[in-house]
Amino acid sequence: MLSRTAEYLYWISRYMERAETTARLLDVGYRMSLFPNPSGYNNEWESVLSAAGAIEGYKNKYDTIEQKNVEDYLFFDESNPSSVYNCILNARNNALVVRTSFTPESWLAINKTYQEILNLKEQKFTKSDLPNLTEWTIEQVNLFRGSLSSLLRNDGYNFLFLGLFIERADNSARLLDVKYFVLLPKPQYVGGNIDNMQWSILLRSLSSFRAFRWAYDGNITATKIADFLVLNNNCPRSLSFCIQNIVKHLTNLTCSPEKVGRIYNNLKDLNTKIQEEKIETIVEYGLHQFVTQFIRKISSVDNEIHKEFFN
Amino acid sequence: MYQSESVIRNHYNNINDWLDQMTSKVILEKNAEAETHFRNIGITFSTNNETARERIIPFDLIPRIFTYTEWLRLERGVIQRAKALNAFLADIYNQGEIIKANIIPKEIIYKKKSFEPSMFGFSPPRDIYSPIIGIDLVRTGPNDYFVLEDNCRTPSGVSYMLENREIMMRMFPDLFHNNRVTPIDDYPTRLLQTLMSLAPIKCENPEPVCVLLTPGPLNSAYYEHSFLSDQMGIEMVESTDLFVEGKYLYMKTVDGPKRVDVVYRRIDDDFLDPLCFNPQSVIGIPGIMDVYRTGGVNICSAPGAGIADDKAIYIYVPEMIKFYLGEQPILDNVETWNCEKEQELKYVLDNINELVVKEVDGSGGYGMLIGPKSSKSSIDEFKTKLSTNPKGYIAQPLLDLSFSPTLIKNQVEGRRVDLRPFCLIGEQAQLSSGGLTRVAMNEGSFVVNSSQGGGVKDTWVLAE
Repeated sequence: MLSRTAEYLYWISRYMERAETTARLLDVGYRMSLFPNPSGYNNEWESVLSAAGAIEGYKNKYDTIEQKNVEDYLFFDESNPSSVYNCILNARNNALVVRTSFTPESWLAINKTYQEILNLKEQKFTKSDLPNLTEWTIEQVNLFRGSLSSLLRNDGYNFLFLGLFIERADNSARLLDVKYFVLLPKPQYVGGNIDNMQWSILLRSLSSFRAFRWAYDGNITATKIADFLVLNNNCPRSLSFCIQNIVKHLTNLTCSPEKVGRIYNNLKDLNTKIQEEKIETIVEYGLHQFVTQFIRKISSVDNEIHKEFFN
Repeated sequence: MYQSESVIRNHYNNINDWLDQMTSKVILEKNAEAETHFRNIGITFSTNNETARERIIPFDLIPRIFTYTEWLRLERGVIQRAKALNAFLADIYNQGEIIKANIIPKEIIYKKKSFEPSMFGFSPPRDIYSPIIGIDLVRTGPNDYFVLEDNCRTPSGVSYMLENREIMMRMFPDLFHNNRVTPIDDYPTRLLQTLMSLAPIKCENPEPVCVLLTPGPLNSAYYEHSFLSDQMGIEMVESTDLFVEGKYLYMKTVDGPKRVDVVYRRIDDDFLDPLCFNPQSVIGIPGIMDVYRTGGVNICSAPGAGIADDKAIYIYVPEMIKFYLGEQPILDNVETWNCEKEQELKYVLDNINELVVKEVDGSGGYGMLIGPKSSKSSIDEFKTKLSTNPKGYIAQPLLDLSFSPTLIKNQVEGRRVDLRPFCLIGEQAQLSSGGLTRVAMNEGSFVVNSSQGGGVKDTWVLAE
């Protein structure tokens, strides 16, 4: 497989995953905007922007945080590199180059999405359309992922899934970080009702709200949620699940065992740690520090993948 | 479709019945379905304007039909021509017999930009310079076919031939139950076999590694590049994916370097090797020509193959067929005046109102004058051009191209068509059982080029 092909495949799933994350965040923001705003609390749209990593770009463009502008910025704005529109555009442009390493179904899934978002963008949206837009995005990404099941299980497949889980690991960790650190500046809120609402936002944005209920009995507690999103191997968005899958698809690569070995060596401590650690220890040590370290590690693995395979 | 005013040719009867049954509502729906399909699979044109939507070529629902006997003659004629063009290339890059025999003057060969001096004295595998040739044909009467031009470099359009058939089979399966249409979907397999049969001498691999070299996504034929490499199961590479080391060509893969035996290139000569051709070129693979000349890789088509489809060389193709193959040409050339010659220039200037004048290096239907359809001022403009640069032009009579029934605003109307079948030459020579039919969608127009409002049709060859 061409190095360039591997790189493009990797980025296609990163973009598609990112499109879904952005859409889920928008959905959460929209949901929260329907509830009464707790006084003295941060504007929910601001936290959505920080979780999407778009707060700086947004503030450069707009003076005030308003729902209409946030929606537009996160969904359609061409100047926001992580807008759903740009994610789909980039995924599609990459797919155009590597459609030979795809099934026709995967290409169709991406290209149809692209054709449709062009139409959506031409018509723009009215306020009530946001739930439809986010639902549409999640549906499109699911179509794409579903189409991958018909792919040959070769290195291309593994690069696609490496991209997917690197992106997801990064997204999940950043969401955790935003909610745990940025949104809880006042320690007295921890454990309060508002806190529970914040945690439920977190669960929803990771498409795990219902799943959590099924996975844990009893009351929602911060520790349980942290356990679910960090260590639970049954949760498809937990940090632990992502790491496991990164390791799996990395070691499944048949090309260059020595390159695979080098990257794996960098990753294996984190993998062991996350499989053996107790959530209480992590929380005690500091979830924020843990998550920051995790983000740094994922980013260094991403760099290594680029260096070893795509150059 | 029609034999005379109102008599339908036999093999179009089924189509006529089918058309009668279709309501205009169905036609509208099917047109929309075809357009959506083409957009979804991405068979679009890139435009330079990035914000504009990609364009698709108008697709006409009514197929163009050839009977088995009609096609047999075309097949023999096109293969004959393709063989002669390759023999010509092998000759002029080696002994130059045709020049010694005073059939073609040497100036018009050696002074052409498309002649590639670095190819002199080198013979590619099997002496095939141009393994994929697209011959543009027009029809002016029941048995009168003329060759309008040859395309020996990197003829495009074959993806339209294949996709037009796919969409027709998908939308109108019954048509294919009721008509015995020769399949064409084995073209990519045949293309790959052709490329593999042209492995270079130093290739030890029983299954040579072929790649398709594309200039990249901005090229207007990019869809075709990805389509063909996908169908053949070979890598589509850009020049940055390739590099030369020692006497071989490699591609950069995740496993490390992998040797490449055959390059089906869809880029121009100028951009192949900056060391050999255009030093300013940022695309290209430094050293590839050296590997090529020492038998480490084959480049299809060969650099310098373009001289064979030069409009000034075109005039001599019938002579080539006689000279190299000892046969009478099966397909005729269009009568052509070479303005470089004084007498012929005079004739052209005197009769310019009746003629079509073309630039020798022009393409895409640009830079041409259709005398009978042009204003006095543009005719005068061309007269000046002809007088100042006679060797830049040729002239031909305005051919009365055949009409094919075409759906225009839900009505069946006649529109002019041409045909480009694709000929493959490797271990064996073969013609696609069909081709790309281009149709001038504008009433009265003679120009079928997609850049100027041309559309396409599915092209059927009926089984025996």
